[in-house]
Amino acid sequence: MTKSFPNVLALRDVSIDVHPGEILALMGENGAGKSTLLKILSGDYQPDGGTVTRDGESLVFAAPREARQAGIRVIYQEPEIIPGIDVAENIYAGELPMRGPFVDRARLDALVAEDLRRYGFEGVLPTNLMGDMLSSAQRQLVEIMRALKSGVRVLALDEPTSSLTDEEVERLFTLVRRLRDEGVAIIYVSHRINEILRLADRVAVMRDGKLVAARAASELTQGEIVRLMVGRELTDVFRRRPAVQDRVVLRAEGIRSDWHKGVDFEIHAGEVVGFAGLVGAGRTELAKVIFGELPRTAGKISVDGREASITSPTSAIRAGIGLAPEDRKREGLVLIRSVIENASLAILARLTRFGFVQRRLERRIGAEYVERLAVKTPSLDQEVGKLSGGNQQKVVLARWLAAKPKVLILDEPTRGIDVGAKAEIYRLIDELANDGLGIMFISSELPEILGMSDRIYVMQNGRITGELQGGEGVTEEQVLGLAMVDHLAMTAEQAKAAMEAEGQL
Amino acid sequence: MSAADTTTTTPTTPTTPSVTRPRRGRGLIRRVIAAVGVDNLSLVLALVLLVVVIGNLSPLLGISGGQFFWSWQNLMNSLAQSIVIVGLLAIGETVVIVAGALDISVGSIASVASVFSAIIVTQGVLGSFGAGSMQLAILAGIAAGVFCGVINGLIVTILKVNPIIATLGTLAAFDGLAFLIAPEGKPIGVVTQPEFTWLGTGRFLQDLPIPDLGGRPWPGVPVIFVVLIIVAVVMHVVMRYTEFGRSIYAIGGNATAARLAGINLRNVRITMYLISGAIAGLAGVLLTARVTSGNPINGRSLELQAITAVFLGGAATTGGRGTIVGTFLAVLLVGVLTNGMNLLGVGAFYQRVALGILLVGAVAVAQYRQARAERARTRIAAA
Repeated sequence: MTKSFPNVLALRDVSIDVHPGEILALMGENGAGKSTLLKILSGDYQPDGGTVTRDGESLVFAAPREARQAGIRVIYQEPEIIPGIDVAENIYAGELPMRGPFVDRARLDALVAEDLRRYGFEGVLPTNLMGDMLSSAQRQLVEIMRALKSGVRVLALDEPTSSLTDEEVERLFTLVRRLRDEGVAIIYVSHRINEILRLADRVAVMRDGKLVAARAASELTQGEIVRLMVGRELTDVFRRRPAVQDRVVLRAEGIRSDWHKGVDFEIHAGEVVGFAGLVGAGRTELAKVIFGELPRTAGKISVDGREASITSPTSAIRAGIGLAPEDRKREGLVLIRSVIENASLAILARLTRFGFVQRRLERRIGAEYVERLAVKTPSLDQEVGKLSGGNQQKVVLARWLAAKPKVLILDEPTRGIDVGAKAEIYRLIDELANDGLGIMFISSELPEILGMSDRIYVMQNGRITGELQGGEGVTEEQVLGLAMVDHLAMTAEQAKAAMEAEGQL
Repeated sequence: MSAADTTTTTPTTPTTPSVTRPRRGRGLIRRVIAAVGVDNLSLVLALVLLVVVIGNLSPLLGISGGQFFWSWQNLMNSLAQSIVIVGLLAIGETVVIVAGALDISVGSIASVASVFSAIIVTQGVLGSFGAGSMQLAILAGIAAGVFCGVINGLIVTILKVNPIIATLGTLAAFDGLAFLIAPEGKPIGVVTQPEFTWLGTGRFLQDLPIPDLGGRPWPGVPVIFVVLIIVAVVMHVVMRYTEFGRSIYAIGGNATAARLAGINLRNVRITMYLISGAIAGLAGVLLTARVTSGNPINGRSLELQAITAVFLGGAATTGGRGTIVGTFLAVLLVGVLTNGMNLLGVGAFYQRVALGILLVGAVAVAQYRQARAERARTRIAAA
């Protein structure tokens, strides 16, 4: 199969087969051609050459609808969920059971209940929840249910776990395995090597639009997959040099807000402090409270030993805090403006003399950081939206480096970016710590929290439930234990109810 | 940006140099294009085409209007003067629309300023101080506009009312206000104030040795047209080179990201409505001077033409995109079209239909082009 786009040959003669009852993992860095392959399968793109065959029958899809009718379904990271209607109607959207001109609600509920029971998800997905109330995991589940009810033969999942917690990932795996056992052919795209090795039967690795390997998962090791993906050895991704100083750059005392019930923590100069926890533990909200984006009802924030009056992002920046938010497209970047305009956004006031932005100075500073972070862009005037995810994240980081904060909050800085770019972000974090910055590092990926942090705070339900010293000794189990400490204290029955109440998968 | 810069976008090549510096010593044509803006080229083209059609081809159809188009009388009197008011309102509106908002009260603000400036110029302040003074009248009109603009800004930022609803409300309220401040709601004549009406009738550069055109002598440049050019240039500079302008583009492109980068949304939004109001106020003053009357209905429905011009000029309905140059070209385009239709004897009702089609057509074309660019982008991202 070949697919070319203007300037780029996205796929070069890739042949790939999936068998019923098999989980095939598809791996590769961003830009390797995975998404393109999926889009051909889903009927979004037409191949320039090559064919798609299912059960020996050659298929041509002119539109996504036709692919679906052929039993091929691709589930993307953020499925289309209609916000204003509930789960049941979302699952049966377009095929609602009718009685005359009215929706047959009783029959719909029965159908959905039956579907959920069949796959073991009754209780996990309340059918009367509105579309916009659903967590990422639940949204994906809705999309999967849509696919299942229409008799899917080939199910492709694109990075399904990138916004799920470890807990939710386990449930998804259970579902995927069950589907495999029922004879569905599954294509599973992910960056997370650990997951792949646990889940997949076979692993296909793509690089630069070509298939470089397709082997049984049992024959592969983590190191080998990385080597296949990047074409080079990635030795020691999490390289940290100790740089922690005695000076405390950020101290938060008794922080209370709608989400937090008295949070105390401190970050030293040169220290990377990991914040671990399940989704909903209040980590992102804590970052935003510290940054003045969300209101706090009580508590004191001090930067460099001086109490800072933080009431807005503007005042937080003035106090010396920077925040690279979790959702860089929605909260981090002005996608339709240029690299330079985005990079200089936080220092605009500093670049201004008599109301005018000093453009030479701006370009000099912008170019300096864009170069230091090795942002791959044809020019400083390129629209940020046209860059890849990793490069977009680097532009956000360039903005904050230029602002020279004392504390930098990084909320999921490596989400949705490829292995190579991740390694660069890790190296940069280490570099920044060595420059004396205090770094608040929020992540849902435990390996990177463990690998990068000098110290780790674990949160649950708006509280800090534990503090761990980083280093070799800490295990994922320890962190998870603290992240679910409330649940562990209950009986299994209570814990399940609590989790459902929190709206988790 | 040069053409070569735009075509080398291949994020997949790992060896792409991080930054290529802007090249120096570009050709004159490229510099002109860069100044106008690549996005505005189609407007320039449409304008040239329209001028050619109206100026040259209409005589072939046996209509005499075309010959008259190229006369000083037409260019400097009919055309240059007719675009000023809408042009001013559109320039203020551009700021607001680029910030992702809307100000539909500008016509009513112009009415308020029109009446208020007429009151000041005929009666003066505190007794009769400053009666007849052009400067004071201009100041009064702008002050009225600033007052109204700040009200808009406060409603949108403090009360957090959607900008369309907020200014729809003030559209009605300011319209009423204009009648309330006019004595008995009647127009105020200013014919007796020659210093002030000079604004509407005066000419600059009348003595320049410029040859006749279309059998008409050089009449000089209308004062109000000069005002439009000055405001356009100032606002172009403000939008492009100041912190405020940059903030407007950032807020329009992504308000959350702008706030999280430390931009004070409230101040920028209030300032932007203030500017839009001030310019509408100035437009109101010029209206009074041109029609020699401070009439409460002077500004009615002008907001429609102003908003039309902004979108025709390439501003994005979602904010973050749009330029003063584009808006100015669009105002010129609409002006030439209207002027041409007048010359060719097209009826006023047909003209309104034509303008409506032009707006919808222009936005449809812009949407189509954006969708195509979007597709190209997702392809590259997927590749």
